[in-house]
Amino acid sequence: MFDRVDGFVRDVREVGSESDLETALAEVTTDMGFAYFALTHHVDMRHASRPAIRLHNYPGGWEDYFEEQRLGRSDPVHRASQLTTIGFAWSQLPHMIQLTRRDRQVLDEAERRGIGDGFTVPAHVPGEVNGSCSFATVAGADVPEEHLALAQLVGAFAFEAARRLARMRDLGLCAPPTLTDRQRDCVVWAARGKTDWEIAKILGVRHDTVIEHLRHARERYGVGKRTQLTVHALFDGSISFVDVLKR
Amino acid sequence: MILVVERPSRPLGNPTLRSMFEARKRVFVDLLKWDVPVLQGRYEIDQFDDPNAVYIIVTDRDGGHLGSARLLQTMRPHILGTLFPRLCAGDPPRGSGILEITRFCLDRSQGGAQRIATRNRLVSALVDYALDRGVTSYVGVAEMAWLQQVLAFGWACRPLGAPLVVDGRLLGALRIEIEPNTPALLSWNGIYAPHSLAPNRELEPA
Repeated sequence: MFDRVDGFVRDVREVGSESDLETALAEVTTDMGFAYFALTHHVDMRHASRPAIRLHNYPGGWEDYFEEQRLGRSDPVHRASQLTTIGFAWSQLPHMIQLTRRDRQVLDEAERRGIGDGFTVPAHVPGEVNGSCSFATVAGADVPEEHLALAQLVGAFAFEAARRLARMRDLGLCAPPTLTDRQRDCVVWAARGKTDWEIAKILGVRHDTVIEHLRHARERYGVGKRTQLTVHALFDGSISFVDVLKR
Repeated sequence: MILVVERPSRPLGNPTLRSMFEARKRVFVDLLKWDVPVLQGRYEIDQFDDPNAVYIIVTDRDGGHLGSARLLQTMRPHILGTLFPRLCAGDPPRGSGILEITRFCLDRSQGGAQRIATRNRLVSALVDYALDRGVTSYVGVAEMAWLQQVLAFGWACRPLGAPLVVDGRLLGALRIEIEPNTPALLSWNGIYAPHSLAPNRELEPA
């Protein structure tokens, strides 16, 4: 079963869309013996000031109920997850927080809609809104105790993948630009003040090859001039000041 | 300032190393209640603090310790391979290009913002050190409580096995790949500070 989780971790590092992440998460959820997942920031999604993450495959109607009741921050599972840094079974809730009458109504309503027992992995990143990734069984089924340690990993890696996708979406970018090794070599020499012809001599490649490498590198950053290219590459660490300044 | 200390011959003879061992005692023994040896009631030093250990230390202007990490060779005795091999689904990774990050320590005297700044400098220095010395991956035993934060740095990280409860703490083994684009991945999350470390020039041996 660990191999399955290892595969999931590799897959979600590469996913490029929330729907692909949802599909991967739904599959691994089933393989771990759960029926449902819900990955979310603990905010009121209808009134969130910043775009937030929510992916789930809970039964129809649950999300509407959740939003109508404005449970984003008050949901008992979410409240409990603020108190801990590692995963917990929902059966532990009464030991973690004081369950109010309304909390019990929420839990009953979840069960009425087919959501059974669950396990929630808190996701706290300093400086960011808290979140969590929960796995739930169908009502009446037991939580797969033997896979809870792996659910801990799946929840954490899934949340990071969702966080990465949300960041890409918010910034309107597809991915952080990465340079090929050869493009990087050319950018370093350009930053050191060499002309295309000089770089070609230094690297032992053709003049027009260098021009091509630098053109592609500029395209990756969406800039038009080599000065901008070197500043961007220095800023994001693709090249370092040491590369440029060392003798 | 970032110090890289390799082959420390007399660890307690160096004031910065002393302040690091004291900070480690305050963090790992006093705060986190780890059951590890304490020397002279002040210094947290164990059997892996030998001349093969490498220390990456973030200091203030006066050389006082702000944060540090200890790097152990995986070809020699180390925490994962020696103490916790059961955290790995297969054999613990070993190789000359694989180092283990241990005792990642942020001094308790700092406020929140400064802790994060120190943490970022330390993580940047670890990556710079790896790229400078041909280290291709780090491994480490992490408390799962920190996992989300470690992943949020943005570097390529994967689990080596299922987490286990050890002495009341949920521990897991991680592997972090260090590649030329790792600084870019960290910058993407505001972690990497490109000017934080200049290998070969500003690294000062103790």
